[in-house]
Amino acid sequence: MVENRPILNILAHLVLILGVAIVALPVWIALVASTHASNDFLGGVVPMWFGDQAWNNYSRMLGTGISTSGMPPVSWMMFNSLIMALGIAIGKIAISITSAFAIVYFRFPFRMLAFWVIFATLMLPVEVRIVPTFQVVANLGMLNTYPGLIIPLIASATATFLFRQVFLSMPDELTEAARIDGAGPMKFFWDILLPLTRTNIAALFVIMFIYGWNQYLWPLLITTGSDMYTVVAGIKRMSTVADTDPQWNYIMATAVLAMLPPLLVVIFMQRLFVKGLVETEK
Amino acid sequence: MKRVVFNNKFLPLLLLAPQLIITAIFFLWPAAQAIRQSFLREDAFGLRTEFVGIDNYTALFRSSEYLNSFSVTLIFTVSVTVVTMVFALLMAIAVDRLIKSEKVYTTLLIWPYAVAPAVAGILWWFIFNPSIGILPYVLRQVGINFNWIFDPTDAMIFVVIASAWSRISYSFLFFLAGLQSVPASLREAAAIDGAGPVKRFFTITLPLLSPTTFFLLVVNLVYAMFETFAVIDATTLGGPAQSTNILVYKVYQDGFVGQNLGSSAAQSVILMGIVIVLTVIQFRFVEKRVAY
Amino acid sequence: MASITLDNVGKVYPGGTRAIGDVNIDIADGEFIVLVGPSGCGKSTLLRMVAGLETITEGQIRIGDRVVNDVEPMDRDIAMVFQNYALYPHMSVRQNLAYGLKNRGTSKADIEKRVAEAAEILQIGPFLDRKPRALSGGQRQRVAMGRAIVREPAAFLFDEPLSNLDAKLRVTMRLEIKELQRRLGTTSIYVTHDQLEAMTLADRLVVLSAGKVEQIGTPLEVYRKPASTFVAGFIGSPAMNLIKASSVPHLPGTAHAGMIGIRPEDLTVSADGPIQMKVAAVEELGAQRLVHGHIGGDAATVTMASDATLSDDLNLTYRPGSLHLFHPETGKRID
Repeated sequence: MVENRPILNILAHLVLILGVAIVALPVWIALVASTHASNDFLGGVVPMWFGDQAWNNYSRMLGTGISTSGMPPVSWMMFNSLIMALGIAIGKIAISITSAFAIVYFRFPFRMLAFWVIFATLMLPVEVRIVPTFQVVANLGMLNTYPGLIIPLIASATATFLFRQVFLSMPDELTEAARIDGAGPMKFFWDILLPLTRTNIAALFVIMFIYGWNQYLWPLLITTGSDMYTVVAGIKRMSTVADTDPQWNYIMATAVLAMLPPLLVVIFMQRLFVKGLVETEK
Repeated sequence: MKRVVFNNKFLPLLLLAPQLIITAIFFLWPAAQAIRQSFLREDAFGLRTEFVGIDNYTALFRSSEYLNSFSVTLIFTVSVTVVTMVFALLMAIAVDRLIKSEKVYTTLLIWPYAVAPAVAGILWWFIFNPSIGILPYVLRQVGINFNWIFDPTDAMIFVVIASAWSRISYSFLFFLAGLQSVPASLREAAAIDGAGPVKRFFTITLPLLSPTTFFLLVVNLVYAMFETFAVIDATTLGGPAQSTNILVYKVYQDGFVGQNLGSSAAQSVILMGIVIVLTVIQFRFVEKRVAY
Repeated sequence: MASITLDNVGKVYPGGTRAIGDVNIDIADGEFIVLVGPSGCGKSTLLRMVAGLETITEGQIRIGDRVVNDVEPMDRDIAMVFQNYALYPHMSVRQNLAYGLKNRGTSKADIEKRVAEAAEILQIGPFLDRKPRALSGGQRQRVAMGRAIVREPAAFLFDEPLSNLDAKLRVTMRLEIKELQRRLGTTSIYVTHDQLEAMTLADRLVVLSAGKVEQIGTPLEVYRKPASTFVAGFIGSPAMNLIKASSVPHLPGTAHAGMIGIRPEDLTVSADGPIQMKVAAVEELGAQRLVHGHIGGDAATVTMASDATLSDDLNLTYRPGSLHLFHPETGKRID
C-alpha cells in the first residue's frame, strides 16, 4: 500500500467480513437445516442454529434415501456422480492432450480443419442443442448408461487449447534432443511431454472434476432410471417428487453431501484450482 | 508454430480421432439436425414432417411469449453480470489492500465455485422460501412481502441472486489477479503526483483493469445466458407467468416438455447464432490464443 | 568414428528462399571442424542438416560411407550439444545421460558403465542424482556434453554450446572441449559466431556467409590468406583494414586490385610512410593501444605501442609482404 491509512484497512476488513457472510449464508443455513427434524420447519422461520438430528438425517440419506420418492440412497447417487466426474475429467484430458499433441507436433493434411472443428465445440454448448443431442444418444442406445453420461461431454476445445499453449511453449531443442536420443513421437510424448505437463494436467483435472460433478442438465435428460441418478440432478427430483412439502432437512443434507466433494477439492487443492481456472479460461 | 515436427501422416489422425469423432457425433451432427428440423414441421402425432421454410422462425418472432423471453433474458443476463462483477470487484479491491490476510479471505471467497448452480438454486430457494425462508421473514418485519412464487419481479430478483452467487468467486479471482498485476510503482507515482486512494483507483487502477473487466463481462454474459439453466430449472421453472423463462430454458421446455420440435430447433439455431457472436467477440477482442 | 562428406549440399525452403547453396566439405575421421560466420549465415542450418533435423533438398551428406540424406537423426550415429543444453528437466543427470542409450536397447550394465565413465571424464559424478535445474550453467554444459559422450557416436555436433555461459567460463570450457575431443578422437562439427572461439578450437575452419562457403582452411591459413574481403573482415581481432585501392594509388603492385587489406598489427608509424591516416579515437589496452581513424574514405585501425607519440595525422608504413589484394568485382583474393 502506498500510504498507511488504518481507516481504509478497517473498512476493507468490514467489507470482506460482510462479503464472506453473504457468500456463506446459504451454506450455513443448509448445514443448520440438515441437523433438524422435518417438523422443525412446519411453522415460522427456519432455525439458525444446529439441531440434534444430524446423525439421523445424514445416515438416513446415505443409507436408504427417501423411500416414498423412489429415490436411491444418496451414497449411490454420489457414486454415480463420482464415476461421471472422473470419467469426464480423465476423458477430457486424454482426448485433449492427444489432439493438442497431434496439432502441435505434426504437419498433416486437414490439420487446420481439425483445429476449427475442435474450436467449433466452443460455440455449441449442450444447452443449445439439447433435443437433437438427446436423440443421437437415444439412437445409440446410450440412455441410462455411464458412457452416455460421460462421452458426449468430453470433447473440449478449452482443454485442447490449453495443452496446445503448453506444448508451444516447450523448447524445440528438447524435441530435437529426444529425436537424436532415439525417441519416436509416442516415446517423446510419454517420456518427455507428459511428465513436463504434469502440473497442467493436475490443475485441469481439478477444474474438470468440479465441472463433471456439477453437471445438471445432461444427467437430468439421459438418466431416466433412478439407479443412474447423479446427486446434483437427483436433489431436484427429490424436491419435486415428494408429494407433500419438500422435506427440507433431507434435501439440505443431500445438498451438503452434493457440494462436499468439489468443495474439498477446491479448499485442499486451492493452488491447482486457481492455476487451472486461470489457465483454462484465459 | 513448431520448428521441429515428426514426419508421420497417419499417427496424428489417430491421435485426433477420439476428439473428432465425439465432436462429429455429439456436436456437429446434432447442430446440423437442429438446423434441419428448424425448417420442418411435425404433425401432432409425429407421423409426418413437412418442409415449411422459415415459418418456424417467423412464428417465433410473432410470438409474444418468445419476444418476452428475449427481454427476460436481457434483463436477467445483464443483472447477473452486473451484480456478480460489482460484488467481486469490491471484494477484490478489499483483499488487494490487505496483504497479510489475503490468503484467508481468498479461500473464504472462492469456494462457491465448487457448488453446482443447481445446488446453489436449491440453497437460495430455501432461503427465499415464502413460508419459512429467512429472507422473506426478515423482509416481513420491515413490511415488505416478498413472494417469488406469485410475483414476477421477486422471482427475477431471486434467480439473479442465486445465479450471481455461483459466479462471484470466478470473477473475484480474475479481478484479484488483475489488481495484483498493476505495478506498485504506478500507484506510487500517482501518489507522488498527489492522487488520493479514490482518485488513484479511478484514474490508474480501473483503466489498467479494463482488459480483465472486458474479459469477465463477456464470460459472465455467456454464463448467465447458458449455464444458468440449472438455476432456473431447480427453482422457478421459468415462472411465474413466464417472468424468468430465459431463452435456454424455453428451448428445453418447448422441445422436451412441449414436444414442439420445429420451434425448439429454430430457437436452438438462434441461440447458436448468439453463442457464435459472443465467442467471436471473446476471441477477437479478448484473446489472441487462436491466432494461427 | 567416421569421416563426414558434404557433396554439393544445398537447401531451399518450400517458399523458395535459399538457405544453403552448394556446400562441399570433406571432414576427415577425427577432425575438429568449426563452422563460423555471422548470425543468419546458415551455419546452424547446415549443422542441423548433418544431424537430420533439417531436410536436405540438394546434394548428398555421407557419414562414413553411408548416404544419410533420408536417415532419421537417431539412426545417423551422431550426438548433438545444444546452445541451451536441452536437458530433460524432469530427469536426473543420470537419467539424462542414460536416456539415449536406453532407447537404443543398450543393456543396463553397459549403460551404468558408460554413464560412470562419462561422469568421470567430465567430473560430474557428484551431481548424477540431481535435476538439471539444481546445476550451474557450467555444470549443465558438462551434462550436455556427457549426454553426447555416453553414446560413443561417430560424430559430435556442437551448436554454439558456449554462448549461454559468461565470458570467463567460456574460455575454460573451450579448452576443455578441445582437450576432450583430442582425447576421444571423435569427428566433430562445431558451430559458432565467435571467430576467436573458432580459431582456437578448429583443426579446420569453414567460414560461411549468406549460405555459401567463403573459405575452408586451417586457422592460420584462413588468417594469413583470407580468400575474400568477407573472410578478411571476419577473422582476426581487431579486424583487418580494408581500404579502397584508389585511396592509396602509389602502393607498388596494387594496380589491378579493388581493395587492399592490411592487418592493424602490420602497420607502423614512419615519418615517410606512404599511407596517411586521420586519427579519430584512441583505445588504451594497457600493453598497446588501438588507434582508430580513416585512410581515404575507409575506417582503419592501427595497433601501436602504448608509449608511441600520437598526432592527428599519421604517416604509416607496412610490413613487406603483408598486403592482401582483393578483386574489384568479386572481392576474391588475388595472389
